[in-house]
Amino acid sequence: MIIDVHAHWGPWFFTMDVARASVATMDRYGIDVSIVSATEAVIYDAPAGNRALAGVLDGQRLFGHVTVNPRRLADGERDLREYLPTGRFVGVKIHTDYTGSPLTSPQMREALTMVAPFGCPALVHTWGPSVLDLAQACLDIPGLRAIAGHMGADGHRFAIEAARSCDRLYLEPCWSHAPAGRIAQVVAGVDTRQLLFGTDSTLIDPASAFGAVAAAGLTREAKARIAWENAAALFTVDNDVLAAWNVSKQP
Amino acid sequence: MMRGMTDPFDAWRLVGDLQVTLDVDVLIGAFPDRDGPAGDPAAVAATLGAHRIATGAAANLRAALFDMRSGNDEMLATGAPFVPVAVADLRDPIGAARELERVAERGARAVRLFPDEQGVEAGFPSVRHVAKKAVALGLTVLTGGDVRRFWRPFAGLGATVVFLDTHFYHLGDFIVAALDEPGFHTSTRLLNSPDALETVAAHVGADRLLYGSRAPHYEPLVPLLRLATGGLDAEQVAAVAGGTARRLLG
Repeated sequence: MIIDVHAHWGPWFFTMDVARASVATMDRYGIDVSIVSATEAVIYDAPAGNRALAGVLDGQRLFGHVTVNPRRLADGERDLREYLPTGRFVGVKIHTDYTGSPLTSPQMREALTMVAPFGCPALVHTWGPSVLDLAQACLDIPGLRAIAGHMGADGHRFAIEAARSCDRLYLEPCWSHAPAGRIAQVVAGVDTRQLLFGTDSTLIDPASAFGAVAAAGLTREAKARIAWENAAALFTVDNDVLAAWNVSKQP
Repeated sequence: MMRGMTDPFDAWRLVGDLQVTLDVDVLIGAFPDRDGPAGDPAAVAATLGAHRIATGAAANLRAALFDMRSGNDEMLATGAPFVPVAVADLRDPIGAARELERVAERGARAVRLFPDEQGVEAGFPSVRHVAKKAVALGLTVLTGGDVRRFWRPFAGLGATVVFLDTHFYHLGDFIVAALDEPGFHTSTRLLNSPDALETVAAHVGADRLLYGSRAPHYEPLVPLLRLATGGLDAEQVAAVAGGTARRLLG
């Protein structure tokens, strides 16, 4: 059982043609469930992308993140109110670079403050030391639960420090690079209840995150927590959805 | 309640029986500016063996970062499972050309360049100078650096080059450069989008792809997994997994 908390649906602007790739790739790696955001929503037009994604999610294998552009908060709040009650959207996605909204920016802080009362986790792009700023936002905003997308990428040591500072910050590892020892160092330094699995598929093949985790020499318990247990506990889903995932929350 | 007790991250099930006969990107030694493995030959050989990599085209970080001559001598004296790759220091183009003549006489078939680690940009005269010297000596060039910039100093020379840092973000740039340059190849290390290997194969041929791990500083399992689970046929996979590297490096 694997739950991929950081995946995408839709085309990319690079030299690649992966718009239709999803379930077959998931099957290859034993990924039962992917929580995806629309590339259009992340890169260009959040409402249009969220709307398109709503027509694709099956509530069985594919669940969604509602993408919020911090510069368009009214749109984001409207989309959250519309899509979260469907049960097919279970999280929020916020990208820093594509929206010109660093984690320290006022609009990002307003976005995270707006999102927190909705109760679902916010997957936020982090790179380098910015993961520390996300941890600070979690400390400052009551109830906010955030996932540090890429767990800082080349800043995984900052991610360790960040996760240790706030138990409402979660880390997911996807990155196109796989420096030796990165995953093992994070697992050794962080409460494994704060670790999730993400691939960045369909931008990155799951081989990258899957292989990096596989190479880390983790215990069975740590693997299970990363693969799905923590995700199943983190995301607010009803019993029918859990049944579709063939799991139940940990006591 | 947990569903199933099998390993959710069983990569070897996916790798199957794939074996790499020659990995084009292996390093001996350590980076003093970062944490990471010491990179002594025995440990690196063990890493290769653990990943079913029979041999590695290895360059020495002492040569790359401190002293070409002694580092290259260390590398040339290291036996199996390594195919020694010489290093030319781009910070010293005069000495680098002299060193290339020396190592070529000692049997080196390839030279590796470390522009990023040495703070050298693609437009520096040094790079073009070393490129010409490598071509004149019949050496295959293994080079780091952003392929969008480092294609240029090797263009128009008839050079045989393996770009070791090609990222799938820049795949289109590699392909259009390779269409004009039959000697341009790329490592698979960072071609980990869902269709990068297949895209290269379709546009310029799978014989432009070489498996590269950067062991022991990167996880060899990731490019191994990508190659094993991709859409290349068995003949293409064999070429990527070392067939082409053996042809280029001897």
